[in-house]
Amino acid sequence: MDNILEELQPIFRDILDQPNLVLTRASNANNVDDWDSLAHINLVVSIEKHYKIKFALGELQELKDVGDMIDLIKVKLAAK
Amino acid sequence: MMEYRWSDLYIGLRHEFDATFSEEQAAAFAMLSGDVNPLHVDKAYAIEAGFPCPVLFGMLTSSLYSRLVGVYLPGKFALLQGIRIDFSSPCYVGDHLHVVGEIEFLSEAYRRLEIKATIRKDDGKLVSKALIKAGFHGN
Repeated sequence: MDNILEELQPIFRDILDQPNLVLTRASNANNVDDWDSLAHINLVVSIEKHYKIKFALGELQELKDVGDMIDLIKVKLAAK
Repeated sequence: MMEYRWSDLYIGLRHEFDATFSEEQAAAFAMLSGDVNPLHVDKAYAIEAGFPCPVLFGMLTSSLYSRLVGVYLPGKFALLQGIRIDFSSPCYVGDHLHVVGEIEFLSEAYRRLEIKATIRKDDGKLVSKALIKAGFHGN
């Protein structure tokens, strides 16, 4: 569970087509190129599939950056 | 045209239809796309290359995936968001093509559905398969 950032990196690299992207907890749609609305949907769906979890729209609207996403993933995984 | 709403959808929901392309449609696609590769537009060249006649454009036959999403699954309120296509075998003017699509994944948060789809000839031979991502527009 501590490796979520490392696990997210290849997902983001693939979907955003940025093979050298270095993801941090502070990464967000404002500081990562091409992270637009459709890419965001693709990221969320890929994360749901990877971890076999489901997000609610309200949960996603609260997220400010990748760190928040990681924390939400941890909550979801702990609840499985 | 189907008018499915999000709440109507479920994994396993399936639609299918048949289609055939004419010489005129293939010529129109060549004009619209600008793809004038001789394998698609020159009969003598296609025969010399080992095919019985010009090969239909893969992207023309794949336009049936657009029809699948926009007319049937989910239909009127669809918004095509992505598609991955693998081509398996060539097809030709006049071939009867059978298109099947089935929902295999639903993501509630952004109302994204994923459809696994195939196009096959009458004899069952696979022409192409696709993984289609679609959402909804409107309310």
